[in-house]
Order: sequence, then C-alpha cells, then structure tokens
Amino acid sequence: MQALRNIWFLALATCTEGVRHRALWAIVCLAVLLTMANLGVTTLYSWDLGKVSVEFGLSAVAFTGLLLVFFLGMKILADDLERSRIFMLLSRPVSIWQYLTGKFLGLAMILLLATIILGISAALSMQYVLWQYPVYVPPDFSWLTYLMALVCQYMSLVVVLAVSVLCFSFASQPFVALLLAVSSYLVGQNMELLRRVVVENPYAGALTGQKNLVIALSWLFPNLSLFDKKYVAAYGMAFSSQEFLLLCLYGVSYSVLLIFLATLLFKRKELA
Amino acid sequence: MSRRLAINLLTGLALACIYAASYNALLQQRHDAPPSGRSSSGIWNLPPVALLAIAGEFKGLMADYLTLEAGAQLGTELVRKPEGGFLVVKKQYDWSSIHRLLVAGQTLDPSFAQTYIVAQGWLPWEPANMVAETQEFLKISAESRPWDWQPSHFMGFNAYYFLKKSGEAGKLFLEAAKRPNAPLFLSILGARLAQKGGETGAAIVLMKSMLIDKPESDPGYADIVDRLHALEGVQVIEQAVLHYEKTYGRKPSSLEELTSSGILASLPANPYNVPYCMDSAGTIYFDNPNCHSENR
Repeated sequence: MQALRNIWFLALATCTEGVRHRALWAIVCLAVLLTMANLGVTTLYSWDLGKVSVEFGLSAVAFTGLLLVFFLGMKILADDLERSRIFMLLSRPVSIWQYLTGKFLGLAMILLLATIILGISAALSMQYVLWQYPVYVPPDFSWLTYLMALVCQYMSLVVVLAVSVLCFSFASQPFVALLLAVSSYLVGQNMELLRRVVVENPYAGALTGQKNLVIALSWLFPNLSLFDKKYVAAYGMAFSSQEFLLLCLYGVSYSVLLIFLATLLFKRKELA
Repeated sequence: MSRRLAINLLTGLALACIYAASYNALLQQRHDAPPSGRSSSGIWNLPPVALLAIAGEFKGLMADYLTLEAGAQLGTELVRKPEGGFLVVKKQYDWSSIHRLLVAGQTLDPSFAQTYIVAQGWLPWEPANMVAETQEFLKISAESRPWDWQPSHFMGFNAYYFLKKSGEAGKLFLEAAKRPNAPLFLSILGARLAQKGGETGAAIVLMKSMLIDKPESDPGYADIVDRLHALEGVQVIEQAVLHYEKTYGRKPSSLEELTSSGILASLPANPYNVPYCMDSAGTIYFDNPNCHSENR
C-alpha cells in the first residue's frame, strides 16, 4: 500500500513538474497552431480532403508526443540526477523500482494530457473540414476508429517513453540516453519493414540469410509500426476491436517489461 | 568607445554584404539552372523501401507533401516582367522525374486520390506519353481504393483512347461499374466496348456479377438487364457463326444464312427492338442495324 502511495506521489509530482516546465502551455499553443495549419493545409488539396485532415491531425499528435518524450521526459529524468534530487528521494523509504515507476507514470500522464488536448483540437479541425467538404469524407469514416487510432498513438508514445526510461537507466550521460532512445524509436518504426524485407525477399543485401537474427531483433525492439493507425483512420478502414485490445496489451506488457529491466539496470548505475 | 562602435558597425556591415552577395549569387544560379534540375534530385528518387523507412510513421504526411510537390512542378510558372505584370513561362518538364515523384507518393500512401488524379491528368497525354506507366499507376490505386470507381474508369478511358483496345477498355469500364456509386453509363459503355473488342463472354460475366448485388428496384437495373440480354443474343449468334464457318469453310454472308442452314432455329430476340447485324469483318451488333452499309 505504501509502495502504491509512493508511486502515486512521484507520478503526481513528475506530472506537476512537467506542467511547470510550461510544456503544457507550449502544447496548447501548438494545438492551436496545428489546428489552424490543418485548416490551411487541407485546402491545398483538391481530393481526399478528409484524409489529409485526419492524417495531419494524428501526425501532429505523434510529432508533439515524440518531442515531449525525447526532450521534456529526458530532461525531467536527467534533472533529478544533475540536481541531486534523486538522493533526497532514495534516502526516504522509496525504492528504485518505485522511483522509476512513479517517474514513468508521471511522464505517461503528461503524454496523456497532451494527447487529449491535441486529439480534441485535431478532431475539431477535422470536424470543420468534414463539415465544410462533405463530398470528401471517406465512405466509412468513423469517429470511433479515429479514437482508437488516437489511443494506439498514445500507446506507441508510452512504449517509446518506456524505451527512454530504459536507456536512461544504464546510459552514462543523458545525451547518450537520448541518442539511444531516438535510435530505438527509428529501429522500432522500421522493424516490421525490415522483418518483411528479410523474410519475404531472398535478395536482402547484407542481411540475406540473416532471417533468424532479424526475427530475434524484431522481438527485442518495439514494433512501433503496428501502432500506426493513421492510414486506417484517415480512410475509414476496418479496425477490429480484437486487434485494438491486442495492441493495447502488447504496449502495456512491453512497457512494464522495460520498466522492470530499467529497475534492474538502474540499481547498478553509478549515481554519484 | 565610438571607435569600437565604428569597428563593430563596419564588421557587421561587411558580414551583411558578404551574406547578401553570396545569397544573391546562389539565388541567381538557381534561377539560371535548367528547370529539370529541381525535380531530378529529391527524396523521391530513393528506392521504395528506403523511402518507407525514412518516412516512418509519417508516411501519409510525406505522401501529401510529395503530391503537393508534383502539383507545384506541374503548375504554371509566372515570371515578373520588367515593365510590370507577369509572363507565363513554357516549362520544360522532366517527365520521368515527375513520374518517379508520383510513384514515391503512391508508395507511401497508395490510397491517396490526389496522386492518381494528378498522374492521370498529365502522364498519359502529350508530351509525356506515359500511358503504360499511368495504367500501372492506376492499377495500384484501383486495388487500394475498392470503394472508388474512378481509377478503373480512367484505365478504361486510357485503354480506349490511347491504346485503341476496345475489348480491354470495356472490361475495365465494367470493373469500374461494379464499384459502389459508379454511374450507370459505365456498365452500358463497358458492355458495348467489350463486345466490340471481341470480349462478349467477359462482358456477360461482368454484367451478371453486377446484377447480383443490385436490387431490382434500382433505377438502372432494367437497363443493365436489357444490355445483358442483348449481349447474350450476340454471343449466341457469334457461336453460330463459328459453327457455320467450321461446317461450310466460310463466314455467312448474312445472319439469315444461319437460320436457313438450320444452325439456328431463329435469331435471338433483341431487347432494343432492332435486328442484329453482322458487318463484313464478322462483328455482330445489337444496336446498329445498318452496320453493313456503314462499313462498306
């Protein structure tokens, strides 16, 4: 019970710290800007305006979320070390796993807040475009699919956040952790593509015959492209609830596993 | 103090002059460069796999950008005249590069309508003359957009207008007619062209498959049934002509010979209430009773 209380306290403190970084204000400003940009960009096209609007809105959520994870998230984690706040926390009855879990949940809450704000602003601009140009609404467009795609986007950001926490737990410098996290994100985005190229193509250059290695890597790195449902939402394609639940389960289980590993690695880290 | 200020000012001014001169020279060089230089270098020249890898989760957004880029390269270029006003410049297009640009956009988002519409609007026409490439392009769009009848419709148009293949055009129009919200004229036109191109059997099969999903109350239902019956009549006659040819070693000179020789008991009924007609090449018509005189 005390452990849960500690985690909740840390999560709340991290979230408040994130908001104090004026990140939330920056997000609100960005949301307004992107909403206006969405309206402007969409009118540059003559066909499939609905698709452009949905894709732009969800991409804005993804882009902002990545900025938050890589810059705000890493900064909050690094500040604890650089300003020696971590010693104050760990000298209290707060264990390392509680500390990392609390930090992770706090950052996930900031991401959730940002996703909600950006998701709503994107939805408003999309609603305007769809109302203004009803002919270009994809035939099976549904707000439920949009919502599911938004949740998948959030899950993807949570996984990237977990990867960042893992990198932070063993990297000697915050900058190294940032580089590793960005690299993992890029690999994760292309894991499915790489797996397909190597498994389905007998002429895969240097990776020819390395099928097992690539399959092993695809289990190690997060398969982030699976969470990318912008295309599905933009064209109103079928998105089964079973796939959605499996994606959520995959995201949560992978993140929990990474935080667990991060705890093990963080115990060995030289803090002083 | 004033000396230091003067030095700072002079240094700033010199740096600003160097910057302005270099930037101006760069702009001038860019302006003088051949127009194809702009389109021949770009991210769209990368192989599809590399393009997909770079775009990551922003494939749709990048496809939007590439389509805009294609539109910008194809658009009219205006140059300001010294005496005022603008002059329309006749641009030299690098068509293979523009094609690559559109293909890159399609690789990233195969369902985007704007890409195939831009491609159809420019590539098959003079001076690009890229009909085969456009057909390939439209084929991918048709597969990725099962709700849209336009890609198959454009393919049918290209097959008829540029490639002069009536049979293929007819089949493509009939494929388009099977898509949701396709206009009725496509099925009629498709059947007409398919039959004209010697694809009567294929036209009948496609029209029958269209009727499966169509309610009888649909305004176009009766028209399609009439066209189907007419095509079935044509098919019966075509088979009888083949039979006649095998038996007598020559084509019948008129359709009446089919009945007088006993191969057909009577000619099939034509729902359009005109007699069937066979021209000198042996093509059967259900809507052109004077085909012999026209072809002479």
